[in-house]
Amino acid sequence: MLEDKINRIYSEFEKDIDGVNDLKKLEEIRIKYLSRSGLVNGLFSELKSVPKENIPFVGKQLNSLRQNVTDRFNSIKSEIESQKTSTDKDFDLTLPGSEIRLGSKHVLTQTLDQIKSIFKGLGFSVFEGPELESDYNNFEALNFPADHPARDMQDTFFINPKFLLRTHTSPVQIRVMQAYQPPVRAIMPGRVYRNEAVSSRSYCMFHQVEGLFVDTDVTFAELKGTLVAFAHQFYGEELKYRFRPSFFPFTEPSAEMDITCFLCKGKGCKLCKQSGWLEILGCGMVDPNVFQHVGYDSEKYTGYAFGMGIERIGLLKYGIDDIRIYFENDLRFLKQF
Amino acid sequence: MKISLNWINDFIDLSGIPVDEIVHKLTMSGLEVEDVIDERKIYKDFVVGFVKEKKKHPNADKLSVCTVWDGKHELQVICGAPNVEVNQKIVFASIGTIIAQGQFKLSKAKIRGVESFGMICSEAELELSDNHEGIMVLNDELKPGEKITSALGLNDVILEVAITPNRPDALSHIGVARDLAAIFNIPLTVPAIKIEETAGKISDIASVEIIDVENCPRYSAMVVQEVEIKDSPEWLSSRLKKIGLRPINNVVDVTNYIMYETGQPLHAFDLVNLEGNKIIVRSTDEESKFVTLDSKERVLPKNSLLICDAVRPVAIAGIMGGENSEVTSTTKDILIESAYFYHSSIRRTSKSLGLTTESSYRFERGTDPSNTLYAAQKAAQLIAELSSGKIAEGFIDVYPNPIKQNEIKLRYSRITKLLGYEIPQEKISEILFSLGCEIKHSGQNEVLLLIPTFRPDIEREVDLIEEIARIYGYDSIPTIETISVPLDIKHDESYFVDNIKNIASGLGFYEMINNPLQSESVASITGNKIKILNPQSQDMAYLRTSLIPGALQTIARNISVGEKDLYLFEVGNVFNKHVTDEIESFDDFSENQNLLFIITGRAAKKSWLTEETQSDFYILKGIIHSFLIKISLDNVLIDSYYNDGKSLFDYYFVKSYNKRVVGTGGKVNKNVLKFFDINQDVFCFEFNLDELKQIPIDEKRYKELLKYPKVFRDFAFIFDREAKHNEVIEFIKREGSKLLKSVRLFDLFESETIGTNKKSMAFALEYYDVNRTLTEEEVDKEFTKLITAVTKSFNAKLRG
Ligand SMILES: [Zn+2]
Repeated sequence: MLEDKINRIYSEFEKDIDGVNDLKKLEEIRIKYLSRSGLVNGLFSELKSVPKENIPFVGKQLNSLRQNVTDRFNSIKSEIESQKTSTDKDFDLTLPGSEIRLGSKHVLTQTLDQIKSIFKGLGFSVFEGPELESDYNNFEALNFPADHPARDMQDTFFINPKFLLRTHTSPVQIRVMQAYQPPVRAIMPGRVYRNEAVSSRSYCMFHQVEGLFVDTDVTFAELKGTLVAFAHQFYGEELKYRFRPSFFPFTEPSAEMDITCFLCKGKGCKLCKQSGWLEILGCGMVDPNVFQHVGYDSEKYTGYAFGMGIERIGLLKYGIDDIRIYFENDLRFLKQF
Repeated sequence: MKISLNWINDFIDLSGIPVDEIVHKLTMSGLEVEDVIDERKIYKDFVVGFVKEKKKHPNADKLSVCTVWDGKHELQVICGAPNVEVNQKIVFASIGTIIAQGQFKLSKAKIRGVESFGMICSEAELELSDNHEGIMVLNDELKPGEKITSALGLNDVILEVAITPNRPDALSHIGVARDLAAIFNIPLTVPAIKIEETAGKISDIASVEIIDVENCPRYSAMVVQEVEIKDSPEWLSSRLKKIGLRPINNVVDVTNYIMYETGQPLHAFDLVNLEGNKIIVRSTDEESKFVTLDSKERVLPKNSLLICDAVRPVAIAGIMGGENSEVTSTTKDILIESAYFYHSSIRRTSKSLGLTTESSYRFERGTDPSNTLYAAQKAAQLIAELSSGKIAEGFIDVYPNPIKQNEIKLRYSRITKLLGYEIPQEKISEILFSLGCEIKHSGQNEVLLLIPTFRPDIEREVDLIEEIARIYGYDSIPTIETISVPLDIKHDESYFVDNIKNIASGLGFYEMINNPLQSESVASITGNKIKILNPQSQDMAYLRTSLIPGALQTIARNISVGEKDLYLFEVGNVFNKHVTDEIESFDDFSENQNLLFIITGRAAKKSWLTEETQSDFYILKGIIHSFLIKISLDNVLIDSYYNDGKSLFDYYFVKSYNKRVVGTGGKVNKNVLKFFDINQDVFCFEFNLDELKQIPIDEKRYKELLKYPKVFRDFAFIFDREAKHNEVIEFIKREGSKLLKSVRLFDLFESETIGTNKKSMAFALEYYDVNRTLTEEEVDKEFTKLITAVTKSFNAKLRG
């Protein structure tokens, strides 16, 4: 009887395939049962000897046999294949992965980004301005009169007596105050130029971030608080700081902010010139003369301003010992950040 | 400026205050101490030695083997100085001493086979001067074994103080002493002058006339006769040496000494060389020449203030004396000038001459007009004392319009408003008094003050507030813990560029920052350059007009160190002049922010997984396309292509918006590369970000995801070689019915099998409809139609 044969072949198949775990044996089984001249197809050819009324029933049984054998075969096959990959001891996992091309922002940009994000978090806007500035915006409006020695503090590249390469980002303060009424709370990052001999400590250009806050009751105490908050976020919570008097024509009173040297923790070393302190920024209360130049009422409004050099931060933070390396753009340098 | 604490002690009593505290408090009150030289520490191990014996070194001609008695031991010491002799008193350093010069610890040494137990020192080794010619030979009366700190008076503390330009008063020992007096709240005593006038009346000997009163408001002078020019005594030359000056003779040294003590620059003329025994102060009305006492001929600009005698100039006022009237070894009678010159005039002349002296430095910052006579008298007194000279009776003091003291009203409430905390009123008065201010009128809420003339920087109420704050201490100002921030809209003008830098680095590029200052030849490659009036060097005399030349320099540098595969970008400003004349306004030039992508060398290295790829035009184009996708501008820019070998590029393409060029790039011209010594292909693209920024970006809207299947077809045609890809693509898009949504070139080749001057291009097409499933039949119909159209229009042949 064909039905018996079906059952017999299936149990024989079960016996054959049980425990098979290599593809070669499996292929033999496929040929024996599932190939064109295999046992399962052979049964189909016997269908014609079945009485007509039984054909649908037996046919169904045959189909389900073929289905079962095929399913079982496939599941064993994929089991073996997956075993093969995970058990192949010679499969070399140590080969390098494929390389993806990497890039990065310049270390100065990265430093600037950090500073910007801290001040944006404190409610500061970000403004920019041109590098080729007027003498008025760069000096006059910032209370550097012509023929004043304060101008010696910032050696200047001139285009002509009226135009120059800005020596600080402070002219952006002037532009912002001319455009907006108080309150003004903004930082002004940008590139500045100084006509100094190029050496490991100075370059003809560098980058600055300045900040400005003008309102009715801005005090020196608030300036200190804001800058201390910045320094704690940027340099770490542990640091000690101090503000000491200094001089900038556009602020009065003026101060410089020092933090404890991160190399020697204040004991004194070469980096801090034995003082234990590192100067990180200049600041002060906006000079009334500056307010006068932009048309603010200096009786009503007070304000503070501050500025820091980005290159210097890198020199201190990353131990870079030559400022020129920032601008040589040697790939070996760029890749380090 | 170097300040000697021993000298300071002439005016205030600092005894009992540790040096560290002096240094800290000075720094914290605005006179930043940059360096401290404590002689008592530096010289603590050096003693007076006695050379008992001197023998020739057996193995070296120039060395001597000496026996030195250091008060306790006889020691064998090798000495190389030619001037060492038996019976000399010398400075001896025993083993273990730290030598000032070079900061090394002296150890036992064997020099050419002979042992040496110490060192006989030169002035250079002690850092007393730069004289290293021979050893320092001491006064014979000194006792061997005595420490040199006491024997030579090397017991001073020298402070290197950084004086900000607003503090001309602090450019002197009395000035620094005044600050210290205020800081420590101790009295300041300026010694009175005791003059013994033994010569004739000064009015019979010399006279002074000021013509330019504006620039020389006051001229005081004293005359000393029958001086004997010689070396200054030890105490004087030693004080000068300690603050870094070289002693010259008793007259010149005294003028320097008084300047460093009082801040008033002085000049001594040889009276015999003043024609007519007369001084005339006037400004020049034309350019002139003058030989200064350093024997250099100077070209004086118009409006220079000069000191003249009856017939000729004898000094450049406030800057430098003339060779024709300087004090020499034969000088007998001198005139001491002590004047107040207007700061602007001195500064202009000094700048124009490129000549800064200690004198001009002080005048251009502002000296004290009230102090000229005191300084002149003090100098006369000291010169007479040191040179056995006779002081003429009386003084000259031409001061037609005495300068009034500033009066400033100080409101106590304003101090609190600005600083954010209250300082007690009695503290305020105490500080202002010790700084030299006088109270003219005192009210409940405010005080009217007279400002001393030595503080030209104190002009307004706010300047007084700074004085109070700095002496009271910035540390005392509280650091507030809370700020309030209004909720208005914040601007961020750097957002666009920040985003671009993130995208560019994400695309595998490293950011460069190149110097915008370039040489003429480099800046001339592109654009219309702007010249720097006063460049540092010819290498940096022009502003860049494009980011490309600077980037090529960077590439050349990298190649020279072996970095040949480069993907670099830069965002920076470029400058172009729009006028042929001088720049007069912001309209006469443009300053644009540009973005440059530049690639060279291998785009991918060969690895076990992938083949090597060289950077080329199409890689560049792909990068630019990807970049534009990331900033949502890929569909709005129009490309144009040029093979004409424009000067900068062999071939290039331009992206524009509304006919305005926003960027250009391509393969950099071989000759340009040669100029930069680059021997490999370079491809770059430069955007004008100011243009790019202005292109409106459609707000993003969600598009429903496609629900129905896409139908794909592809075909390949053989075209004439000159057929352009973008023309074919545009044609297909135009002719390919609404159902065709995308066409992409996926294969391109030329070969002999398809014929010469032919090329094969294969395209993949995507058909779909957002509202329904397409049937194969309708796609086939469209597809067949398209094949016919392409064949006809391009004289193309469908490939099998
Ligand atoms: Zn340190």
